[in-house]
Amino acid sequence: MIIRDFGMDTASLAGPLAAKLAAVRRAGFSQVMISASEVVGHPDGVDGGIRAVRDSGIAVTGLETLRDFEGLDGKLRDYKMDVAKSMLRLCRALGGRLLIVEASTSSHANTDADAIVRDLRALATLAIPLGVRIAFKGVSWSRTASNFASAGELVLRADCRNLGLAIDAFDILTAQIPLDDLDAIGPEQMFVVQLSDFQWQTLHPTADNAATKTRYRVFPGEGAHGEELAAFVGKVDALGYAGTYSFDVYNDDYQQMPPDVVVNRARRAAEWLEETVLRRALPVPNMAHLRRPADD
Amino acid sequence: MTNALEYEAVAEEGTNPLGISGIEFIEFATSKPQALGSLLEKLGFRPIARHRSREVELYRQGSMNIVVNSQPADLPHTVRPAETPVLSAVALRVSDAEAAFQRVRDMGAWEIPVRARAMELNIPAIHGVGESLIYFVDRHEEFSIYDIDFRAIPSVEKKPAAIGDLHFFGIVQYIGADRTADWVWFYSQLFGFTRLPDRVRFGIMPKGSLLQSPCRSFFLQLIEPEDNARYAAMEEHLQRIGFGTSDVMATAALLEKRGIEFLASEKVHANDRGALTKPCLGGVIFEFVHDEAAIHSKPR
Repeated sequence: MIIRDFGMDTASLAGPLAAKLAAVRRAGFSQVMISASEVVGHPDGVDGGIRAVRDSGIAVTGLETLRDFEGLDGKLRDYKMDVAKSMLRLCRALGGRLLIVEASTSSHANTDADAIVRDLRALATLAIPLGVRIAFKGVSWSRTASNFASAGELVLRADCRNLGLAIDAFDILTAQIPLDDLDAIGPEQMFVVQLSDFQWQTLHPTADNAATKTRYRVFPGEGAHGEELAAFVGKVDALGYAGTYSFDVYNDDYQQMPPDVVVNRARRAAEWLEETVLRRALPVPNMAHLRRPADD
Repeated sequence: MTNALEYEAVAEEGTNPLGISGIEFIEFATSKPQALGSLLEKLGFRPIARHRSREVELYRQGSMNIVVNSQPADLPHTVRPAETPVLSAVALRVSDAEAAFQRVRDMGAWEIPVRARAMELNIPAIHGVGESLIYFVDRHEEFSIYDIDFRAIPSVEKKPAAIGDLHFFGIVQYIGADRTADWVWFYSQLFGFTRLPDRVRFGIMPKGSLLQSPCRSFFLQLIEPEDNARYAAMEEHLQRIGFGTSDVMATAALLEKRGIEFLASEKVHANDRGALTKPCLGGVIFEFVHDEAAIHSKPR
């Protein structure tokens, strides 16, 4: 079976890039989110990293992550613009069509919405000639957008067709946001949806959250929040989202396990969600274009 | 032809933040400059000047300047084999080139480092579609950018008249599937172009979306791939120049005598509204569009 609706993330797996990509492909995944550091840090240089991705035959869901970008001034702003340009070029070189931008956690970031919107618009404009879309993502300890709702407001204000949202189920689950709050987001604004489970029943905000975010995430169904995740996917699907669900999973254990073992766990998660919630399993050609919001 | 008043009313809503007042020149890049030069001469252009230090030539007819760039380092390398000329740059006349450049750069345009600029002219440039550039030129009235870096070809008329009142009418840009909204946003936000309603059409190639320049003197036509071509690999690029003329059939007859061949298929053939040349040099096409230049050539 080829897994089309769910994507892997190179950050979930241990080992060299080419080995990760090969494992992803063997398990039947057809797309993968690429961490920029994996390509840039490739032993054969950036070109070697780009070749590894292109030769793998796996589609690139997107490139991650541009951080602490918006709300800066003067030289800091120029510097971050250069970083952004470099990532946009890399994204295009990989054949990627999406760049994930996490809301700034920098203490230097201006929290004035006008400044943030100005920067997001500039980034989206830079991305247009390259054919890249920008997925802006709220971060719970960010100063500019702490969740999908505030990220969504900024995206709406910026009003660029190629600027949308990355929605991370983890943020919604940990903040215990009611799923109906997602109704405020149009499916055309959802550029990518990221899924992960985690093993703790409850989370304390901030410090705990930051550690869990980076270290204790597992694949959907492996943690304590399978039912909530299934409800989340059902909700997003009903809203009309037809894009990729990307497994945004990082944890220390998976970094010590063979990539084939880890990616097979991801495959089980994909199959479970496919069978229990999504049921996109029998694709009709161009069905995605016909999918409409549940309210219609 | 469509009702001119209709599209004027639409354009009236736009603004002109960069003070754009037309196209100063359009540049081709090719490794076969003589072949393109002789094609341009058949179209009525005359070689006017050569660059002092680079393999760059200036052709002119009437109000139109075309630059042929065959400097090896400037040739695009991803669009098509370089023997086939590619449209590699458009220079816009603006009221203040440096101010225009700063403004669009701050808004998210990609600046071109000076050393990479084709003509060693100190004119600011940004990335356009594909490998192409957009220049900003403000020295087009009292004296010209060509006076500095170009050497006039001796005994040549510097301002040859245009055949059949030919003038730049527009540029056709091929874009990827579902990319119209992105590019409309790009041109409207950065330059002040206005998208025209689909009922406003010119010439005989009515596909895609039309954008009118804020000075209302030229157009961009954005064309997405259709049907199965949507799935084929294609780099976005500037595809052809459209020339305006008040009498398409008379102009076409003049050009045919000079050796230009027009498409004459059942679907596409010269008529009062427009004409399309056969592809030359491996794919170069020119379009002709009926246009009473006076209707929209007045800068605001």
